[in-house]
Amino acid sequence: MRFGRTLALERVDFEAAPGRISALVGENGAGKTTLMNIIAGRLRPDLGEVSLDGAALRRGSAVSALRAGIAAVNQSPMLFERFTWEENLALGGFDLAGFDLAAVAARSRALADKLGFTLPPAGATIEQRSVAERVRLEVLRALSFDPRVLILDEPTGVLAPAELAPFLELLSRLRAEGRVIVLITHKLAEAIAVADRITVLRQGRVVARTTAAETSESALARLMIGEIDIPPAPSAPAAHAGAMALSVEDLSLDRNRRRVLDSVRLDVRAGEIAGVAGVDGNGQTELVEVIAGARRAHSGRVSPASAAAIAVIPENRDLDGLILDMPIWENLLLAPALRERFAPHRWLRRRAALELCRALLARFRIRAPGPEAMAAALSGGNRQRLEVARAIAAAPRVIVAHNICRGLDLAGTADVHRALAEFAAAGGAVLLISSDLDELFALCGRIFVMSRGRVRETAPADRDPARLGMLIAGNWQ
Amino acid sequence: MLDAFLNSSIAMATPILLAALGELLVEESGVINIGIEGAMLCGAFFALVGAYFTGSTIAGIAAGVAAGVAINAILAFLVVNLSVSQVVAGTALDILAAGITGVLYRRLFGITGMAFMVKPMARLDLGPLTRIPILGAAIFHHNAFVYLAFAIVPAAGFILWRTRYGLTLRAAGERPEAADALGLGVYRLRWHALLASGVLTGLAGAYLTLAYANTFVENISGGRGFVALAVVILGRWNPWGIAAASVLFGAAMALQFGLQALGTAIPYQLFLALPYALTLVVLAGFGGQAASPSALGEPYRRP
Amino acid sequence: MLSAIGKSIAALALAGAIIAAVVAVLGASPIGVFAALWEGAFGSWYAAADTIVKATPLIFTGLAVAVAFSGALWNIGADGQLLAGAIAAGAIGPYLGGWPRPAAIILMLCAGAIGGAIWGGICGWLRARRDTNEVISTIMMNFVAAQLLSWVVHGPLIEASGAYPQSMAIAPSARMYLPLEPTRLNPAIVLAIVLALGCYLLLFHSRAGFELRAMGRNRRAAAFHRIPIARLTIAVLALSGALAGIGGAVQVSAITHRLYEKFSPGWGFEAIAVALVARLNPFGIIAAAIFFGALDNGSQAMQRIQGVSPVLVQVIQGLVIMILLAFDTPAWARIRGSLFARARDSAPPIEPGAQADA
Repeated sequence: MRFGRTLALERVDFEAAPGRISALVGENGAGKTTLMNIIAGRLRPDLGEVSLDGAALRRGSAVSALRAGIAAVNQSPMLFERFTWEENLALGGFDLAGFDLAAVAARSRALADKLGFTLPPAGATIEQRSVAERVRLEVLRALSFDPRVLILDEPTGVLAPAELAPFLELLSRLRAEGRVIVLITHKLAEAIAVADRITVLRQGRVVARTTAAETSESALARLMIGEIDIPPAPSAPAAHAGAMALSVEDLSLDRNRRRVLDSVRLDVRAGEIAGVAGVDGNGQTELVEVIAGARRAHSGRVSPASAAAIAVIPENRDLDGLILDMPIWENLLLAPALRERFAPHRWLRRRAALELCRALLARFRIRAPGPEAMAAALSGGNRQRLEVARAIAAAPRVIVAHNICRGLDLAGTADVHRALAEFAAAGGAVLLISSDLDELFALCGRIFVMSRGRVRETAPADRDPARLGMLIAGNWQ
Repeated sequence: MLDAFLNSSIAMATPILLAALGELLVEESGVINIGIEGAMLCGAFFALVGAYFTGSTIAGIAAGVAAGVAINAILAFLVVNLSVSQVVAGTALDILAAGITGVLYRRLFGITGMAFMVKPMARLDLGPLTRIPILGAAIFHHNAFVYLAFAIVPAAGFILWRTRYGLTLRAAGERPEAADALGLGVYRLRWHALLASGVLTGLAGAYLTLAYANTFVENISGGRGFVALAVVILGRWNPWGIAAASVLFGAAMALQFGLQALGTAIPYQLFLALPYALTLVVLAGFGGQAASPSALGEPYRRP
Repeated sequence: MLSAIGKSIAALALAGAIIAAVVAVLGASPIGVFAALWEGAFGSWYAAADTIVKATPLIFTGLAVAVAFSGALWNIGADGQLLAGAIAAGAIGPYLGGWPRPAAIILMLCAGAIGGAIWGGICGWLRARRDTNEVISTIMMNFVAAQLLSWVVHGPLIEASGAYPQSMAIAPSARMYLPLEPTRLNPAIVLAIVLALGCYLLLFHSRAGFELRAMGRNRRAAAFHRIPIARLTIAVLALSGALAGIGGAVQVSAITHRLYEKFSPGWGFEAIAVALVARLNPFGIIAAAIFFGALDNGSQAMQRIQGVSPVLVQVIQGLVIMILLAFDTPAWARIRGSLFARARDSAPPIEPGAQADA
């Protein structure tokens, strides 16, 4: 099977064979998801084609891809929230005559048993399901098409460490059945452990094709990044006993009849970078929303209460953080502190705001056509830099950042980490909420763990991937 | 007297119900059709034109349906293929429809002030059923439109919730990106819904001129299309709820005649305003959009 | 900016072409129709003055629509809000006999603003606190306003003889100055322009305007950044209503001097076309209002000379809106892009640190 394309991907040729796991590795933004979408028929390539057994498939047609036997599992599961899981699976590949949800459920159960999955209770909607359950359901749905080709995009990202091994075993089983498995990942250890062939994408181009035996993690990393100088990661600063900068007390919140935040307590002091480790979907998003003041908790308190003292960098920058249809300088004004500063008496101080914008663009090396250009003109990495710049310019007491380096290349990540470390060194406080343990170990002094809406501070002895992994999975012994 | 009132309520509910059922299909697929008023108006006008110039009621109905479908097709092209703002596009169609029907009406019939009448549609003769006290006259003494409308209620429910097609349609309104990724064809589904709704709205319009007023006056639809939008919300996107809400509005509209007959001193404008005010009150009380399809009203374009 | 004006002009031109075709099909001469429109709109000083008079309510309602649309609040109820303002003004107008003229006029306008603000504010509250779709609520309020108007002109405010369904005439002191008789040109146009300037300053140079536009572009992000969505919604729809209401009061004070049924020929809907053609820019609204006012004015002549119904201008309005919508879609931008081969928005800027590839 061969695929080829241009532009966001440039002349990519990719082949995968049956009975093998082919890994596609690359940094965030290298083009892996785009490639997957093209193969699955969701995106039309400008040039090139996808062919199965030598027969070319119709481009940009998800139907053709599905009929040909190509199924894909997304990074964030694309399920229908308000439908029941049976209805979701009914839209899968079980080719049943008529509309019989009971039959769908039966077939699903059979398939799930074979795979060692558990299913939600009958008639349950997706809304209340955990992220891991959703991934399983989406895998199930993909498998219901009995696909010859199964593409998985970062499937382990949302799995707790304990769920990892069974999942990889599942992949082996599927491989043994003669299917073509394409595993997209940025986790190099995983790729080497599982894959037969590894293709490396960088900036939309294929830079290497190799096998697990012929390479190593560091070699792959070098291929992924290219030959550039990455500034060394800042060492974790000692936890200063500074003044309390952010304090969260007994925060509780229910959504969809589920307890999303359960008496959350944490605190961050001036001069420190504290981290919250955890798999996505355990309440981090809601915690950030409550701290930002965008959502009200049922009980508990966040101090300081003033909007200007806290700068929040949300996970979803395009939806929550920035307004893409507005100019860059106006996006700066979204930060409440900056709005106070540049619009104190109801009038906008345009010139001053524009000047600040120019200064920030330069200082944070944000590549933009100018302060009046629309934020949409910025690339993903530059948008993230803009958000960091805005947060720091707001001169808050504490910056709360959620999955801040997602989608950034390594250089960009290093820049952001350095900026945060400088901010902390100058007396600010940072709360870093992340699912990336490497990032947390590199930057944070104290680390909290969040699981199922509960937060617990970890001891220095827990500062170890295996131990932390267990805590993240919820084993709080 | 009560039976006359009930009869009127059901009769006046009919165009609203037809339009609302069409709108239900459309909204379940993720589109909000503000242009429903314009489609109804065009359906009414062209139904009259068809019936008047051919002398045949069937031809009139067909013309009305065609007009409704045509207006909805324009909207479909704009909001589905071009992904423009659904609200603004719908409003544009309302204005356009008012203009087209106004211009053509004066062109075809002149501004003579003479009403051009067509033969009223006959009510079905259901024999002994009509002799049941009160309910007989209320329910069993209507023309075919009415029965058709109420027959579609369970049909719509069945299609939407008990067929695979209905599931795919609702998927398009719930999360279009996911639906397209599964190859369900969001654009195609939304076109279907809009065209089907065009048929129903055209029928609703045809009812106004062929069965209700037997003539056309400018803006004969009188906001019923918009009321249908409210009825969908009130009915919580459920066909039976919609039917009930439609009858409620029908009753409010019928009330004005009933009370005028009673000769009260209450100004008739109050009753004319009642359906609209009622909509607001009930919408305020029942709150809003929690039960609506998740992607309702958001322009979607295939990546 | 230029491309925005260009789009609007192109849309009008395209609409004009379609209308020409429609007119030809109807059996009249397109050239004749356009000539008649021009003649009726600008053919004489009186005509030109009347064009401005006809444009004035469109400026008020156009501003109302633009302000609301800027916040993604779909105010389809400018018509009802205008009526509410007119009713308020028409209700106090007859009783302002003892007042000095400037004060009486100002009172009329204030009444109009208050009436319209209430009408719009109700829908704002419904949206903010009850999550009621403002499209439906504003449309419903249109109908309620029409019935309210009908009631007052038949009932409590009916003129002395009781024979005609119109309200009492407002006192002479409440009537707007008409400095250029016999034309109906009056100072309200100045007020309209001043309000347009005010709206411009509000939208683009004030904090509230920024917050409003942010809410309009991305409600979720705005809420995330603590922009007070609920308060803003109510305030904006009230302001929108007030603007339309002032327009209604102006009509009563300057032109009609009393109320009657069918007071508005659809200014509230025409305002949507005006606002879109003006790309929601207050200064553009002045120009667009004059354009549509000219169409309205000229349409009488079109009827007289060419026998084409004046309702045709509604067809023009609807067409213009749809064409502008179509012009704004990414599909069109792509077509344009490939036509003029500009790679402006295509490739994202290169990230610092990435290198020229081997």
